[in-house]
Amino acid sequence: MTDFIPRPAQQAVLEYPGGTMGISAVPGSGKTWTLSALAAQIILEGTLTENQEILIVTLTNSAVDHFSTRIEGFLRDQEKRPLLPYYRVRTLHGLAHDIVRERPELVGLDSNFQIIDEREANAIRDEVANTWLRANPHVLDEYLDPELAEGRRDWVRRDQLPNLVKGIALSFIRTAKDMQLTPDILQRQLEGLPLPLPLAEMGLWMYKEYQRSLAYRGSVDFDDLIRLALGALNSDEELLARLQEMWPFILEDEAQDSSHLQEQILRLLAGSSGNWVRVGDPNQAIYESFTTADPKYLREFMTKADHPRELPNSGRSTESVIELANYLIDWTRGEHPVLEVRDALDIPHIEPTPEGDPQPNPPDAAEAIHLVESKFSPEGELQAVADSVERWLEGHPDETVAVLAPRNTRGFALNDELRKRKIETVDGLLRSSSSTRFTAGALGNILQYLADPGSARKLATVYQVWRRDDRAESEIWEQVKATAKILKGCQYVEDFLHPGPERDWLDNLREQEISLDELDQLEEFRLVLSRWLKTIELPIDQMILTLSQELFTKPNDLAISHKLAVLLRRVRNLHPEWQLPELTGELAVIAKNERRFLGFSEDDSGFDPDKHKGKVVIATVHKAKGLEWDRVYLMSVNNYDFPSGMEYDSYIPEKWFIRDSLNLEAETLAQLEAAFSKDAYEWYAEGRPTYDARMEYARERLRLLYVGITRAKKELVITWNTGRKGNLQPAIPLVALQSFWNNR
Amino acid sequence: MQMVTTSFSLTPEQLDLSRAPLDAIIFLEGHAGTGKTTVGVERILHLLESGIPGNEILLLVPQRTLATPYYEALRSPSTTAGGAVTVVTIGGLAKRMVELFWPIVSAEAGFAYPNQPPTFLTLETAQYYMAHLVRPLLDQGFFESITIERNRLYSQIIDNLNKAAVVGFPHTEISQKLKNAWAGEPGQAHVYEDAQHCADLFRTFCLEHNLLDFSLQLEIFFNYLWPASICHDHLLGTYRHMIVDNLEEDVPVTFDLLRSWIPALESGLFIYDLEAGYRRFMGADPQTAYNLKERCNQQITLLESFSASEEILDFGYAITQALLPEEERSFEQFANSQFPIHHSPLDTTRYYPQMLDWIVDKIAKLIDAGVPPGEIVVLSSYLSDALRFSLTERLEEMGIPAYSHRPSRSLREEPATQALLTLAALAHPQWGLIPSKFDLAYAFIQTIANLDLVRAQLLTEIVYKEREGSLSSFDQINPEIQERITFRLGNLYENLYAWLSAYTQETPDELDHFFSRLFGEVLSQPGFGFHAEYDAGEVTANLIESVRKFRWAVGDSLDAQGIPMGQEYMRMVEDGVIAAQYIFSWQTQLEDAVFLAPAYTFLMRNRAVEYQFWLDIGSRGWYERIRQPLTHPYVLSRHWDMHRPWTDSDEYDASRDSLYRLVLGLIRRCRSGIYLGLSELGEQGYEHKGLLLKAIDRALRSVDSG
Repeated sequence: MTDFIPRPAQQAVLEYPGGTMGISAVPGSGKTWTLSALAAQIILEGTLTENQEILIVTLTNSAVDHFSTRIEGFLRDQEKRPLLPYYRVRTLHGLAHDIVRERPELVGLDSNFQIIDEREANAIRDEVANTWLRANPHVLDEYLDPELAEGRRDWVRRDQLPNLVKGIALSFIRTAKDMQLTPDILQRQLEGLPLPLPLAEMGLWMYKEYQRSLAYRGSVDFDDLIRLALGALNSDEELLARLQEMWPFILEDEAQDSSHLQEQILRLLAGSSGNWVRVGDPNQAIYESFTTADPKYLREFMTKADHPRELPNSGRSTESVIELANYLIDWTRGEHPVLEVRDALDIPHIEPTPEGDPQPNPPDAAEAIHLVESKFSPEGELQAVADSVERWLEGHPDETVAVLAPRNTRGFALNDELRKRKIETVDGLLRSSSSTRFTAGALGNILQYLADPGSARKLATVYQVWRRDDRAESEIWEQVKATAKILKGCQYVEDFLHPGPERDWLDNLREQEISLDELDQLEEFRLVLSRWLKTIELPIDQMILTLSQELFTKPNDLAISHKLAVLLRRVRNLHPEWQLPELTGELAVIAKNERRFLGFSEDDSGFDPDKHKGKVVIATVHKAKGLEWDRVYLMSVNNYDFPSGMEYDSYIPEKWFIRDSLNLEAETLAQLEAAFSKDAYEWYAEGRPTYDARMEYARERLRLLYVGITRAKKELVITWNTGRKGNLQPAIPLVALQSFWNNR
Repeated sequence: MQMVTTSFSLTPEQLDLSRAPLDAIIFLEGHAGTGKTTVGVERILHLLESGIPGNEILLLVPQRTLATPYYEALRSPSTTAGGAVTVVTIGGLAKRMVELFWPIVSAEAGFAYPNQPPTFLTLETAQYYMAHLVRPLLDQGFFESITIERNRLYSQIIDNLNKAAVVGFPHTEISQKLKNAWAGEPGQAHVYEDAQHCADLFRTFCLEHNLLDFSLQLEIFFNYLWPASICHDHLLGTYRHMIVDNLEEDVPVTFDLLRSWIPALESGLFIYDLEAGYRRFMGADPQTAYNLKERCNQQITLLESFSASEEILDFGYAITQALLPEEERSFEQFANSQFPIHHSPLDTTRYYPQMLDWIVDKIAKLIDAGVPPGEIVVLSSYLSDALRFSLTERLEEMGIPAYSHRPSRSLREEPATQALLTLAALAHPQWGLIPSKFDLAYAFIQTIANLDLVRAQLLTEIVYKEREGSLSSFDQINPEIQERITFRLGNLYENLYAWLSAYTQETPDELDHFFSRLFGEVLSQPGFGFHAEYDAGEVTANLIESVRKFRWAVGDSLDAQGIPMGQEYMRMVEDGVIAAQYIFSWQTQLEDAVFLAPAYTFLMRNRAVEYQFWLDIGSRGWYERIRQPLTHPYVLSRHWDMHRPWTDSDEYDASRDSLYRLVLGLIRRCRSGIYLGLSELGEQGYEHKGLLLKAIDRALRSVDSG
């Protein structure tokens, strides 16, 4: 094993004697390193039989990649490398996919079952939500705010309810799957209840239609994968035993993000005497969209584990940043005004690395912490942050900086502002994986033109795509753009591409101001294009492959294209009536993402902040998980984006048009749970779920703030704004941090 | 190069066998590559030379491709004339007999109109009727607990009926057998009842409408005709000599038939490939087939291999050792072996296309070194369209001829087909199928020669009213646009337009007739896209054929419902029920070209080559059966104990067994070397860790350490 000298806390993990081990790891504590080292150590011990592997489970595709690279690093000196490694790194969905693939028919699937992506799932949910609303236009009336005037009610029904109901469909279906309820079981249960649960019935109806739609497509969604994997393990003891034998060690990273069901899968695989190491940080359990994950599962595991461990040392931040983060933990646990949320954050505290450690903390600079008290308007906050970033960049061209916002829209607003000021920004994290987006984007531009070949505008775009490698040379690129502009002015595209006698547009162009070089390029472009135009005769997959062979040279672009080809082919099979325009639309969606590829790590394309020195990275706090910058801005830390469970706070899930500030989504889920509760005292009581959801939200927001703070290596700036109506307050924890810092 | 050789190079043993007395009933077994089929071919030639009329000889094969060496020999000019040898599969034989003896069985078999002729269903038309019957049931909640594409649902129900027919049990027992073997969640088992209900419904429907699908053809033959003396005597009297090749790939009812037929034969040769049996999913039953051995009066085993080299065989045996449980393995015999094996470099082959590049590079090097392209095959577990296309393109770029086992496009995906369908929709506005502008522009490019996409789109914009689905004349458009489109192309369009307008004034033809006329009167004329275009002509012919078969099978029932046949056909094409097949005939077979195919297809061609490329060896497709929630080839076979559940270890054993057979089948058909393609991520971006890769890894490392 090379390059890795474990510090004492890490060594305690590496001395793993078998059994269950729960490790609480603070941000920046090197948990991935430690876990990779442990995996390599077990492999090198040589106790695994040829049929065995270490199973490593993590959260994102990019983490899968990191693990493999690190383990390979540890194994570099191994003699006689096998053709296939003695470990398997998977996301939980990837693992579930592996399990289901073992015996698909056990859970009612065909060998070539498909996994639909989020976008298609969204479209189906849209459809079922709308259908339900059309069939039941007044069922939700009793939940509307009685103060609403009739005309306004109509507008709400038409304009606001669809989105709300769609959101409910998502969380209801996800929760039902997490409870392992099929529509059938759920229906029987609801029918047998003494009292009706109207929201649950609405959910059931949508769930049923949604599943029917999936079945029709021969597809399952990501949640089904988890549910079915567990189903397969539960229904076939031999399968379970074989997999238990195959994976004698399970190492799980980011365990705070596991749901109950996911935990059950791993528990089954680990078996009664199983070896299961779970590393996580319950303080970093933050979620972008509705989830059934909950850090409480990991906490429970840790209290019962054979070997509880901690990784408290982190060399990431200055002592000041650490002090602030630790204070947030202490204040939350001891002083938060709402008792119920005091368990949001947990110890261990973050400790600096011990003396002589290879990763020493940066030298402390207390003056680099700015908890700004100024009362900004939203626009004022943008300006202030932009001013500050602009000033800072001048003096720190070789350092990294990120502005983290609680929501995408806020990030985009700042992005626009900085670009206006000609400040270079990196907004890839706000969008999607950049390489997939880029590959799909280039192909998409060409397809868009091929679907509308008479368009000079689209032709001009294709020209730029074709010349995109010249982007680096700004002088040449200016010429390319100029030529594209000329191309855009081509009145009759056929006179350029397939000129008749004396109608060659290029000939006329020779008299204009255009360099000979560009003319040559256009000649060649015409040839290339005539080849591309021929591809429209091909089925979509062959078309993509042909174009990508012409466009790309990098292996991963080609691999993504190959995957896109297979994917669009499948889309086409599902919608045989679709032609190029529709398929191009689909590709455009991939380009903008929303779609996840299972398996391609370029997806979450392991983002490296160090590659963007001197530029401003803009991201949401959620997307920034696992990353670090020299200087970090946290914006909008007010009681709208970071409510604390107080009566006067605003809660995004509570809609203004619903009476009594009810959180209809939470109420619906509570009805679902009530239907299966055996305890009469747990029967559904309206309003209670809304309250519970507030508390849960407040907890998550505290952790979000904690994650935001711990992204900073040296410098931290936190700001807040008063909101559009000017009535918002700074978030309570921010006020607490300010007073702590000022009195220090 | 065929495994078949000419009689000059026969071994004495092969020569003796082929010249055996004219009353010999021989069971001939041996591994692939030992020259059994050569004996079979020589035997037929010998029978003919001995004066036995060809029409007294029956050659039975499980699949027509397996008869290729026989066809070639029989077609040779030096072959003795004297009546044609009958070459059939068991399905073909059943169909012939049903056709011949229809009047005597139709009533007894329960057909509603015994005096009217039967309609034979193809797989497509059977699927069409199945869809028709099952669709309404889906809305009633049938099959709710499974997740499956509709067309696959229909085909699995049909598959169950076929399994019952080839294995030889009443189709009414399907669900019971499947339910007994079900080891999953008990609530799921009711889907088998749904499947049974649909199978029963389909059977009843067939009987009520004189329709015969494959299963019914077989059942009528075996249950009614073979036992009837008139058919029995006819067959026994006609065919006095029988050759059966690849017995191990045939189905149980064939063996029942042979068991009672053998005693009546004058001569017979039954060829059995050891350690094969690749068509289990089609009902192949090598175990039952082997029982025929004792029915024959001579049993011969061929041992010498003509195909594989020692080193290659060693590699194969090492893999099979590696498939055994650890304690049963022995690699000692390979300690000094040098396997002629190459694999793609692990550290630089992360992505699938990189593996493809490696493969193409190696192929190019082999060809440079003088290996004929026809001596190279690229095998994969599953050949996706994208893969086929990528490989062919790469090879083509290097000037290496390559061909694949099927064209890369289904009939409905052929541009010519799409153009014809679009024009058919335009010509029949009463069907209400209005093509999109895109479809029409596309059809124009196909049908008007030299029309480019830009002008086609312009033309469509101007002459096509999408809302009504109607065209207007070129003469009516403004001169500037006419000039842009050019008058030459405009004229051609005008001809097409005039023909279509005239057609819409007439009583509509049947769709197949419409296509014939459109092709003959317009599209094949000079200036039009199908003129002198052999491929487009072939596609048109195939399309006409597909429509015609559809009309024969379903025309009457559609007439009765008042639905135009053409409209229904187009709808079914859209649904993927029809014209989804890949029709081989229009792809030129290349003699000396690299062959790309799924491994099993290669095995069923039964030929050996110098070099094999095994692509994506991590894939599970190399050994795993296709999982189907509604059917099960093992459970529905004769060897399954009705009272036992099918468990995970059964599955694993079955996988291992098929991998074992596959590997041996492949290496016995390889003379010089094997290239193993593997990439970290498969075609879909998943990491693959299949059994084949594991076994190869073990085999290679055990030899290294030895």
